[in-house]
Amino acid sequence: MMHKTFLLAKTMLKMQYRNPDRKASQTFMYIFSFIILLPILFVYIDIMRGLVQSLYQAFEPIGQESVILGLLFLTLHFLLFFISMLTILTTFYFSEDIESFIPFPFEPYQLLISKAINPFIYLYITASALYLPFYFFYGTISGASILYFIVGIILLLLTPIVPFSLAAILIMFVMRFVNVAKNKDRSKVIAGIATLVFIIGINVLVRINTNDDAFIENMVMFLQEQDGLLQMLTGFYPPAYLSTKVLIGIATGVGVLSLLGVITLCILGFVLFLWLGQLLYLKGVLGVNTGNKKSFSEKKINKSLHNNSVWISYIKKELKTIIRTPTFLMQCIVQSLFGPFFLVIILMLDFGNNSLANFSEAFSEKSMILTLFMVSIFILGANPTSYTSISREGKNWYTNLFLPIKPKQIVLSKIGVASLIDLLTIGLLLTIMLFFLHVPGEILAIWLFLTLLGSIYTSSMGTYLDFLNPKLNWTDEQELFKMRFIGLVALLFTAGIFGIIVLILWNIQYFQGSLQIAGILFLCLTSGITIIQKLLTHKIKKKYHLHY
Amino acid sequence: MIEIKNVTKSFSSRRTIDHLNLTIPHGKIVGFLGPNGAGKSTTIKMMTGILPIDEGTITLNGYDIEKQPMEAKKTFGLVPDHPDMFLRLKGMEYLNFIGDIFNIPSDIRKERIERVTKQFSIYTALNDYIQTYSHGMRQKIIVTGVLLHDPPIWILDEPLTGLDPKSSYLLKEMLREHAEKGNTVFFSSHGLEVVEQLVDEVAIINHGKLLFYGTLQELREQNPSNDSLEEVFLEMTNDA
Repeated sequence: MMHKTFLLAKTMLKMQYRNPDRKASQTFMYIFSFIILLPILFVYIDIMRGLVQSLYQAFEPIGQESVILGLLFLTLHFLLFFISMLTILTTFYFSEDIESFIPFPFEPYQLLISKAINPFIYLYITASALYLPFYFFYGTISGASILYFIVGIILLLLTPIVPFSLAAILIMFVMRFVNVAKNKDRSKVIAGIATLVFIIGINVLVRINTNDDAFIENMVMFLQEQDGLLQMLTGFYPPAYLSTKVLIGIATGVGVLSLLGVITLCILGFVLFLWLGQLLYLKGVLGVNTGNKKSFSEKKINKSLHNNSVWISYIKKELKTIIRTPTFLMQCIVQSLFGPFFLVIILMLDFGNNSLANFSEAFSEKSMILTLFMVSIFILGANPTSYTSISREGKNWYTNLFLPIKPKQIVLSKIGVASLIDLLTIGLLLTIMLFFLHVPGEILAIWLFLTLLGSIYTSSMGTYLDFLNPKLNWTDEQELFKMRFIGLVALLFTAGIFGIIVLILWNIQYFQGSLQIAGILFLCLTSGITIIQKLLTHKIKKKYHLHY
Repeated sequence: MIEIKNVTKSFSSRRTIDHLNLTIPHGKIVGFLGPNGAGKSTTIKMMTGILPIDEGTITLNGYDIEKQPMEAKKTFGLVPDHPDMFLRLKGMEYLNFIGDIFNIPSDIRKERIERVTKQFSIYTALNDYIQTYSHGMRQKIIVTGVLLHDPPIWILDEPLTGLDPKSSYLLKEMLREHAEKGNTVFFSSHGLEVVEQLVDEVAIINHGKLLFYGTLQELREQNPSNDSLEEVFLEMTNDA
């Protein structure tokens, strides 16, 4: 039985990770990206060290330092739970390969174990990124023994099991008993939006509660007890509480008992997941569909019959594909609006409307333009629409090659689509500046002009990077947004480059006037756009052996 | 007319097409045969601009696919072996997209879409997403897209796979009619019966080399010891 499960898991992993088209240039690109990102990694580690150190200095004198690890485990479990929800939905229910395996004589639990490996890889990578620096610095700062570091690694291996099992059980119930979830597309959008709403909701609740007097009273009470804060923070969720107890009571009986508790919870969670999976999984996965056929209407057909130019037709086709593909809709549109929306919540709840009105008085014109411009370039540079322009086509990319459309026109249309989607984000940012920050009209006009140009720059840069190394052999749309360095590289070449320019301008006293600053940024943006266009033309000619 | 002159293509130092020469004249249906991996799809991909050519030239009605790609691409319509494309568009949206790309006027567009989709029995599904279509329906919508711009050259990679008998018969009639008007039809197939029924000439390829090009009559005359086309084909492509 285990042999069959192992065979199945191996086959599924091969299907996910093997790339028959891998070229040497791609490996070089990965190495190059890694080298470029290395300084960012050091900065990240340093930030984590600083964070742990300052938290430790704050909590250690009052004997509440255990809360730091409690906070770590609680955040980890929440984060892993949310990631699990999305990846389980995609890999267990909506991935295209599940239909190929159902006709084979596999038990549901064998399919589940094999399918779980890929989500677990994501979970371990995410968990390691957050957990390793945090636990390591806590250990060194608090002068922990070698046992702490060894047991810490065991805890890292155990941590994803409970949140994953909980998320899987929840999703298996929903998919088995809720009919609306049977439509692949609808469920993906609902699940995605629900997660974002949940995150915003928790944020709102936390921010509202921190102003509550009763909360402060409780806090004082908990502070008087040893590990009281830990109790308050993680008491409602035993896996996080016990994991913290393992690390703080490492050499004591409490530590050993807590470790046994964590292991028991993991075994219980995983067994429950497999047992329920055996009962529910196949019944849930059968009958998942991608859409219903609509009733026929001749009127509709006649109405939809109209001529468009090639440009408009191609852009419309691209936009329809993004809006109708749930993963693209979530990643390219909904999540790009999430950033600015989140900003509104934080601004409104933390500062209140009155103090926000003073924003324009607190800054000079120069600093205001530079700050607002940088925020928007960062948000636009992070939008995946541009750096998935070519990859989104997947194996269908070849259809573009036999149609009589010039490759340059295809690529430019894709840049246009990315810029059009940026308009939604820019519109939201404009509303924030107009109604919440009360930015003066002149500054607003300059910002809008620069941001629109910035959108062309970020869209061109992302599309160019994707054109250089597109990922066309994907089986699930999610693969375009995970485990790809391109998002970070795009951010580096957009927000990174302009971050340096803004920093230089900020520090040069000679440039003070808003028009002067706008002029320099305008020159930088247009030069950037021109350079990318030239590079694109060159690369297109080279890639398609064009002779014209 | 399609002219393939001395074309060579290699993938990681393995030669897939080896100095291929082939001229498909006007007014003919030519079947392209060969075992799996013989180089049929690679040839079609080079003919249609999907793959670059390493050596040699391919012209379609006088236009070089690499030097004059836009002009060449306007002369042919391709039905690829996998019809799973544009899945997020509705059938009608796909046809409108093709109509826009090839600049087909509204009245002609309307007449052709209505006629062909009714013949193929997919007219009532035009408002549905292509994603909800069966394999055969997807094949039919792609064929309709080709017929919409009515190019002089039709290139089809396994066009009858997945079609029901009625649609298969209809498509064969369409191919015949198109060739009779003096146009070129070039299709690859594994179905030897279809080839026997339909083609004027046949090209047989194996290991990237052309083994035979001529009429079925000429093929039989060259291989008198074999009774059926199947036996001829098996003997010619036998590697042992």
